[in-house]
Amino acid sequence: MSGTTPGYSGAVDVWPRVAVMLWVYLHFPHLLLDHIRRDRVSPQAMVIVEGTGQRVVQACPDARDQGIQSGMRLKTAISLVPDLAIVRAEADREARILEDQARWLYRYVAHIALVPPNGLLAEISSLQKLYGGLPAVWQTIDQALNEHQLTAWVATGHSPLAARLLARAGKGEYTADKGHILRALEQLPLTDAEFDDKTCTHLQRLGLNTLGEVVALPAPELARRLSPETLAHIQKIQGSRPDPQTPWQPPHSFRQQADFIQEIEHSQGLLFPLQRMLSELEEDLCWRQQDTDTLFLVLQHRHEEDTRLRLRTAGPEHRSEAFLELIRLRLEQQPLRAPVISLVLSVRRFLSREAPVAQDLLGETQDLNEAWHTLISRLQARLGEQALTRLSPQADHRPERAWSAAAVHQGMKLSQANPAHLPRRPLWLLRGPQPLLEQPVAWFSGPERISGGWWDGQRVMRDYYIAQLESGQLAWVYRDVQDGWFVHGWFG
Amino acid sequence: MSELLNTLMQDARVWQGHRHRQTTQSSESTGYQVLDNQLGGIGWPKGALSECLLNVHGIGELHLVLPLMQRLTQAGKTVFWLNPPQTPYAPALAREGVDLDHVVMIHADDANDFLWTLENCLRSPVTGLVLAWPGKLATRDVRRLQLAAEAGSNVCVLFREQRYAGQNSPAALRLELTPDEHQALSINVLKRRGSWPGQRCTLAMAHRADLTCQEPPRVIQGPWTSGRG
Repeated sequence: MSGTTPGYSGAVDVWPRVAVMLWVYLHFPHLLLDHIRRDRVSPQAMVIVEGTGQRVVQACPDARDQGIQSGMRLKTAISLVPDLAIVRAEADREARILEDQARWLYRYVAHIALVPPNGLLAEISSLQKLYGGLPAVWQTIDQALNEHQLTAWVATGHSPLAARLLARAGKGEYTADKGHILRALEQLPLTDAEFDDKTCTHLQRLGLNTLGEVVALPAPELARRLSPETLAHIQKIQGSRPDPQTPWQPPHSFRQQADFIQEIEHSQGLLFPLQRMLSELEEDLCWRQQDTDTLFLVLQHRHEEDTRLRLRTAGPEHRSEAFLELIRLRLEQQPLRAPVISLVLSVRRFLSREAPVAQDLLGETQDLNEAWHTLISRLQARLGEQALTRLSPQADHRPERAWSAAAVHQGMKLSQANPAHLPRRPLWLLRGPQPLLEQPVAWFSGPERISGGWWDGQRVMRDYYIAQLESGQLAWVYRDVQDGWFVHGWFG
Repeated sequence: MSELLNTLMQDARVWQGHRHRQTTQSSESTGYQVLDNQLGGIGWPKGALSECLLNVHGIGELHLVLPLMQRLTQAGKTVFWLNPPQTPYAPALAREGVDLDHVVMIHADDANDFLWTLENCLRSPVTGLVLAWPGKLATRDVRRLQLAAEAGSNVCVLFREQRYAGQNSPAALRLELTPDEHQALSINVLKRRGSWPGQRCTLAMAHRADLTCQEPPRVIQGPWTSGRG
């Protein structure tokens, strides 16, 4: 590829040849709008206003159709569209949203740099082999942008700055043809070249109007007459001066936030944005090859403290439907305290995905395991975690302490005492001993003396008998040291 | 149309008084040969409700389902206990050979939660057996449960009070349990699929307290005469 430009002599020498690297720049012209709009069920005209709330910064297509333009005063906009939805721009929120975009892009591209407030830079020449050609890379990126319902102006360039300038000017296209890119750059007006204001005015006074005209000037003269910084800027556009980019690394946790313009009063309304967030979580988990068993959900209210929900599944899980089902159950059980203005879903605990167990001939093993987790999670979500328990014997002579109940968790193996060593006991143990109110009709075995607990102050000293009552029940009765008679269990 | 009729006949869903047909529905043996014989050689129906009607605990009702519980837990199926009236005693279950890893106790507070939980357990393929103590159940609820049971293929035993014996119920099997002599359990079949009800049998349950001797028990002269009247 050479930068031969017919009709523009000298261009070949002006643009030096450097190692071929190709950058793609994604410019999101209205990122905040896209972010909010995709969680809304019904479209409504919406604008973003600057921090002071005086002027419209961005307007969605609906708003533009009704005559609102960016730069317009907010008062004018409201008089045009009375039920206008207004969102205040906040720098940290935008930074967060930008990072969300980097997160999904990272699945396709290794080298990403964030360009706040609304740009992402990615190096794609190294991906050529992986995807089998650049068109495949572009297609992948386009598809991902579509899936995420984002508007982006995309440009490729041989230097980060070139890609950025073209994208921001809206002149970009997918091409690896250096000549093509150079022609586009040369035609870029000076105002789009991101010189500082003073330099820009200075150059315009010299009668230069496009970037191509500036580039054509001899470099030493440029540095002497203008400033070394101006030359450096130009060289960065050309790619002849290194322009290192700080690579972005994805964090080790998952976080998604949905912001609502209109407060959501019913938990039903939360399910729609949650569905999208959870499917992104599923994608993220698939991509990490990991599962999770804990989700954190923070519901922010305008005047009250946030509601924090912690959802646990019974086992490692990654399917969004399963998560959604659990959240739905939980929200049904727990009505919203106050209207919700934003929703944050985060996952910090990742579990490595277990290698699939070798399936049996009918392929049922895996399914059952998964079905077990699904069932237990569902039940726990509705009834509460403490409602489900597993029992286990404990090493204690006192009958009421010889068992314990623990909440059901994944992979919990109970310590099994050797069943052969356990004494004969009734299958029902009463929650508390009941006084024996009648004379048993028959006595069978006994007494079995159980005495213990002197070590923890819960001392028992009892003689146990097996007796049959008038009603036919076989009871486990005891006489304690105070001569009282009690029923402690039934032989069910 | 005739195919539909054939299915109905073969599944013994239509009761034919003159002919005893074995149902083709799958079932689990109760583990008691005498009882299996009374139930037409099958046992607990799968994918349907069974009811045990009894008034008091401690007459051997758990030992009736114990062989099934042992078999299912050892096969890796989960056994759910829903709202048991007392605490199932873990050491005793372990001693009987029930794998406690596959036994889950569930406590549901209100009636809606109870039905919802039971339905979910019944529909799940992991469930082997559900033991449930429902308390009060409307006929409508029993029908709802019966439908859920049909969706799955597991055994569900509802323990209800004896006074419901007079009410009709969509359950496939209804047993009335009463204590008998020598600590035995007397079973009266109130309803079963595909045949006449009314069979009775008595299962020896003395082993549940290791009472092997069948002769009138020796009375241990206990100290109760001095303690209480």
